[in-house]
Amino acid sequence: MASSSGRKVQQIGCPAHPEAHLIEDYRAGDQICSVCGLVVGDRVIDVGSEWRTFSSDKNAADPSRVGGAENKLLGSSDLSTMIGDARGAASFTADGQSKYQNRRQMSSSDRALTNAFREIALMADRISLPRTIVDRSNNLFKQVHDGRNLKGRSNDAIASACLYISCRQEGVPRTFKEICAVSKISKKEIGRCFKLILKALDTTVDMITTGDFMSRFCANLRLPNYVQRAATYIARRAAKELDIVPGRSPISVAAAAIYMASQASEDKKTQKEIGDIAGVADVTIRQSYKLMLPRAAELFPPDFNFHTPIEDLPEL
Amino acid sequence: MALVQPLASGNVMTNGSATNCSAVPGKAAGAALGCDTAAAQQLSSDTQQAADHKSGAAAAGEAEEAPVEEEVDITINNVVCSFSVRCHLDLRYIAMNGDNVEYRRENGMVTMKLRKPYTTASMWSSGKITCTGLTSEPAAKVAARRVARYLQKRLNYQTRFCNFRVVNVLGTCTMPFAIKIADFSQKYPRLACYEPELHPGVTFRIKEFKATLKVFSTGSITVTAPSVAAVQRAIEHIFPLVNEFRKERTAADLAAVAASRARRYGSRDSSESDLDDDDSDID
Repeated sequence: MASSSGRKVQQIGCPAHPEAHLIEDYRAGDQICSVCGLVVGDRVIDVGSEWRTFSSDKNAADPSRVGGAENKLLGSSDLSTMIGDARGAASFTADGQSKYQNRRQMSSSDRALTNAFREIALMADRISLPRTIVDRSNNLFKQVHDGRNLKGRSNDAIASACLYISCRQEGVPRTFKEICAVSKISKKEIGRCFKLILKALDTTVDMITTGDFMSRFCANLRLPNYVQRAATYIARRAAKELDIVPGRSPISVAAAAIYMASQASEDKKTQKEIGDIAGVADVTIRQSYKLMLPRAAELFPPDFNFHTPIEDLPEL
Repeated sequence: MALVQPLASGNVMTNGSATNCSAVPGKAAGAALGCDTAAAQQLSSDTQQAADHKSGAAAAGEAEEAPVEEEVDITINNVVCSFSVRCHLDLRYIAMNGDNVEYRRENGMVTMKLRKPYTTASMWSSGKITCTGLTSEPAAKVAARRVARYLQKRLNYQTRFCNFRVVNVLGTCTMPFAIKIADFSQKYPRLACYEPELHPGVTFRIKEFKATLKVFSTGSITVTAPSVAAVQRAIEHIFPLVNEFRKERTAADLAAVAASRARRYGSRDSSESDLDDDDSDID
């Protein structure tokens, strides 16, 4: 608070009373001698906050902050100011050219990172992924980028693979085809990058299960809740417990289970519709369905009310 | 636990196109010949019979589960070898004057196909040559020498046959049981990679033998390794690991296996259809 007498003489003190306490007047920015009232230091800078902020108002811009929050993933060495795109009439000269043409160059690694983060954010936005997945993805990308093992691969491919891995790690896996749909990289390349990243970061991911996709597929097909629950039960029984569909991808099994459940209920969906939503060919659904049909009685949950009984399920 | 013990003599495996890791003791050579053969050619049948006889006898000491006699045949489908003739080759000249050659300028190589050990030799202008499509290591040596001899005789090159090495061997084998690959891949998370969306099999890498195995739920296993002996050792290594996750085949599975076998050996083409990394299940 006030300068103590134990410090060096360079501290401000009243000339008449060097040992006296100095009272700080924050509002005026003064330091006043407590004995004689002489103003000793003036224009003392108040380091308190300029604006008051209330915790309820999260979304509004915080007036105490200058500029955005520092992105820890980008190089923390870069504190330079970047001149943004020209907006408004004042940013153009008489000739019609923008006034600030030479924008400050970012370091190249930062530029690659920024581009990748933007790509990830764009892709995630297309399939409405939450912020946590995007952040995790950014972290993965930064780790991969720093490790430099995948240097030759296209950054977009690595970004897509990072997005895929982060969805998996969060427990809400997206199929490769879904990631393909929002990225311009082929499924093969994403798969390759996926394997390389796992090796580079020395991590493993859990295997996909049929239940991971049920809520999404059924919601897209607008199936009622009891059909979704039945399909989840059927797929789990077929794949895990009875193992009637060895070697089939869990997505195909899930699609076939949805088909079976919807055909037994009122809201019947065709194989083509389900195939479109799940990204599975309808012949694939047919193959898995043929394997599951003989044991349909064991697959359905016990409390399922059949609109169409099991004997009348289609034989496709 | 059934273990496949290593055969006494290493070179037994390389004779002939049918390589039998037969666990059935004392089985006659004639019957053993009926086992899987990948290629239509047979090298001289008496060497093969001698080989099979030897393998049957050597494997007599194996301990198998009491009543069940299990036979695990390893078929070598593809041997790739590479060597150098130590002289610069004029690809255009070879393309114009050689028999059975094809010149692809965009790849910068000439491919020559041999009939006798059926093989495709790719030649580069540096003098390095790669032979693919062979079915055994000695056949590879023969084919390589034949190619070099052809270049020497017909095309008058001063060839020196050197640096011959077998680069890659592809072997396939079918277990007599089906495999629960999901559980198998979860037990060995570092070594095994199973992505059902990408490939229907588990990719298992054995660092020791530098072998990559693809394990399928039907019980088929594909091995790529630097030599035939490594292929054999890799299969032996993986047998107990896979045996743990065995699942007896149902009647439908057996029918499917028999059908695929008839399809495969009915035609001459022996390559496994699921060797590519493309997704065959989806799309």
